[in-house]
Amino acid sequence: MRNKKVNVAIIVIFILIIVGCFYYIFRDSISNSIKLGLDLNGGTQLILKPIEEETGEITEEKLEYTIGIIRDRVDKLGVSEPLITKDNFNNIIVQLPGVEDPDNAKKIIGKTARLEFRLVEGTFVSRKGNSWDIVEFDYQNGELLIDPEAEETILIEDVNKFFQGESVPSTGRLATNPENNALVLLYPQSQDESDESINESNADEPEFNPEEIMGTLEYNNDTNEMFLVKDGEEIGEILIDSRTGAATLVGPALITGDELANAVAGYDNYGNIRVGLSFKEEADDTFAEITTNNIGRNLAIALDEEIESAPYIRVPITDGEAEITGITSIEEAKNIELVLQTGAFPIDLHLEESIYVGPTLGMDSLRYGLYAGITGLILIIAFMFFYYKGLGIYSMVGLLVYIIIFWGVISAIGAPITLPGIAGIILTIGMAVDANVIIFERIKEEILKEKSPRAAISEGFKGALRTIIDSNITTLVAAGALYFFGEGPIKGFAVTLSLGVIISMVVSLLFTRSGIFLMSGIPKMTTHSFLGLARRSGE
Amino acid sequence: MKFKNFNFDFIGKRKIWFLISLVVILAGLIGFFVRGSFNLGIDFLGGSLMEVKFERDTSTAEIRGIMGDIGYDNVIIQRVETNMVKAESDRFIIRIKAEDSGDNVDGEEKDKILDALDSKIGLEGNLLQDRDVDPGFSSKLVRNAFIAIAIGIAGILIYVAIRFEFRSGIAAILALIHDVLITLGVYAILNREINTSTIAAILTIIGYSINDTIVVYDRIRENTPMAGKLGYTGVVNNSLNQTLSRSINTSLTTLIPIVLLLILGTTALKDFALALTVGVIAGTYSSMFVASPILVLWNNRFPKYKK
Repeated sequence: MRNKKVNVAIIVIFILIIVGCFYYIFRDSISNSIKLGLDLNGGTQLILKPIEEETGEITEEKLEYTIGIIRDRVDKLGVSEPLITKDNFNNIIVQLPGVEDPDNAKKIIGKTARLEFRLVEGTFVSRKGNSWDIVEFDYQNGELLIDPEAEETILIEDVNKFFQGESVPSTGRLATNPENNALVLLYPQSQDESDESINESNADEPEFNPEEIMGTLEYNNDTNEMFLVKDGEEIGEILIDSRTGAATLVGPALITGDELANAVAGYDNYGNIRVGLSFKEEADDTFAEITTNNIGRNLAIALDEEIESAPYIRVPITDGEAEITGITSIEEAKNIELVLQTGAFPIDLHLEESIYVGPTLGMDSLRYGLYAGITGLILIIAFMFFYYKGLGIYSMVGLLVYIIIFWGVISAIGAPITLPGIAGIILTIGMAVDANVIIFERIKEEILKEKSPRAAISEGFKGALRTIIDSNITTLVAAGALYFFGEGPIKGFAVTLSLGVIISMVVSLLFTRSGIFLMSGIPKMTTHSFLGLARRSGE
Repeated sequence: MKFKNFNFDFIGKRKIWFLISLVVILAGLIGFFVRGSFNLGIDFLGGSLMEVKFERDTSTAEIRGIMGDIGYDNVIIQRVETNMVKAESDRFIIRIKAEDSGDNVDGEEKDKILDALDSKIGLEGNLLQDRDVDPGFSSKLVRNAFIAIAIGIAGILIYVAIRFEFRSGIAAILALIHDVLITLGVYAILNREINTSTIAAILTIIGYSINDTIVVYDRIRENTPMAGKLGYTGVVNNSLNQTLSRSINTSLTTLIPIVLLLILGTTALKDFALALTVGVIAGTYSSMFVASPILVLWNNRFPKYKK
């Protein structure tokens, strides 16, 4: 049934495929024909996980939008050929080839960049004896870090003036509700009353009057946010002042980053670093209204729930311009500019993993992997000639064809080779010969059953076919499991392994088979000594 | 007979083969319990990793001393062998587990560490590698690794059960578990780091070492109808002998390149190659000495074919 024409056609098709592969291999230049993964070529990779609790349901749209913003930011950083993808678990994977400063990339790329303008209600300060100290806020545990020996904790509207010794009225005081141990904010005592209490300096006694309660401090464990709650309504939130670490009570967000028209980093007239903000026209009026109604108060500019600056409103601002000041370096200002220009994520992201690989590290692996691969190839071919004699020629040609096609396919689809992928390729070189071994052994068996060489070859392939397919499919099953549950380089390994298995199977079942059939027409190619049987045939 | 026919008594001596497997697996278990745990990488534990190159050769003890001075008492320091040819001792990997530092060390902390190393020993160039893995993320990686292995095994069981028999599937899976146990045992004894690459290598072993088993099963299936007076035991034993040279040769051709990788490769490649080498050897052994004898035992117990 083995039609000579069919075999010739198969060989011709393979020759065409090989020519096609050579086109892809040499298309650019041979050294560029294979794309190297980040772990070989060097660069930075970040894996960011959307945090569900803080942002409600994570939808496909929100993720895509977020990826768009990340792409924008990466572009503005000037990274060439970034790769931003999503894995099966909705993690966002950002690959930045050649980026050598993962710290800076982390700061910019993962930042939610939610900008909010909120009125400052006050900053917490506590008193121990005659000294006053700011109260810090540990947002991760939801605790106000109040010195246990502090006698009282009050809310001060302008903490700077307060520490400069000016007289600033307090806007509230903190107490523990004896009923449920919750922290509550009480209305400030009248001037003489508070003087009295300082004189008494007795913290245990204060009479607790429920009427005085301004609100209760409630902490949300999932979102790490602490709110001031009155009658079930959030009337304020505690944020950290990034400059001092102080716990600051602010009102609701009045304007957000959505209203922002532009952000520009630079210096003000006094040479101080600033980021100038300008609003969209619609927001101008809102901004003017807020500043007009709140002269004498501080307006906090919060970025991702941290107060960047809290300017004092002296006069109404009607031109829709504001600025963030108190920035320590121009690089930081540029970072803020960048994240504000690209906008805020609709979801919060958490950095799960960051990898930086230097440019030299992977090259060693590549070089020694190549040595191992070439040496292995030569040894395998030598072994096949030694054991299967003349049949070894089919293994040699088959292996070379396999390598060319594998190379061509990898460069055509642009699949990057990762470090585990190198191991995968080297493994598949060994596995590619397995099919040959199975076929050759079968052919030998058939010949020993006194079959003619041609019949033996035909029977041998028939018998080996099922075995080869079965054994390769199981390897593909394992590679599939790796692909779906692996991450980054491991996925790369799964791809190279699967490609190798499929290509080697196609090469040995079509190309090698047709080759052997065609060659078996030549008498010299079917003698027992050529087939490696002479040694064992006692004749 | 025109060719030298192998005639080993695979089935009759099965107790010896099982004993050998048992001893090797037990040795791995003892290794595991002596060490207390596997040497898990930051993939699985979370934490930070830095690879540095010094201006001169140094020792792990010297680095440990410097790290201790700046408050990092419990760090893992590993000398990097780039390849067999060059025994370098100016490259090191420093690992700080997340639990030791509360959270991962941040950029400033890393700068502090690098400054200390630079002033005491002298660093050459930038960091070669710098990784941070969140402990929450790594626990997810561990879970995924187990899921991947479980799905891989289940998939193979289903495939073998469909193509052959259910009992063949079970026997093949037992042989696979045998291979995985031996590979993990070798890692425990050698105290080699287990990371995501190791898991990928183990899954590859699972996919590959089943191949030999399938070659044998295929032959058993072919020979069973002509069993005659040989009985099932004889059929299995004959099939093993008939497929012996191909089992050995396929394993040899696969072993050649991966053993070379084990010898020539860099540390990262060796991680992979070691698991593959051990796994392929264990897999070849188990397909002959574990998977097929189990089939015979099963048939003796619950005869489906004539014993």
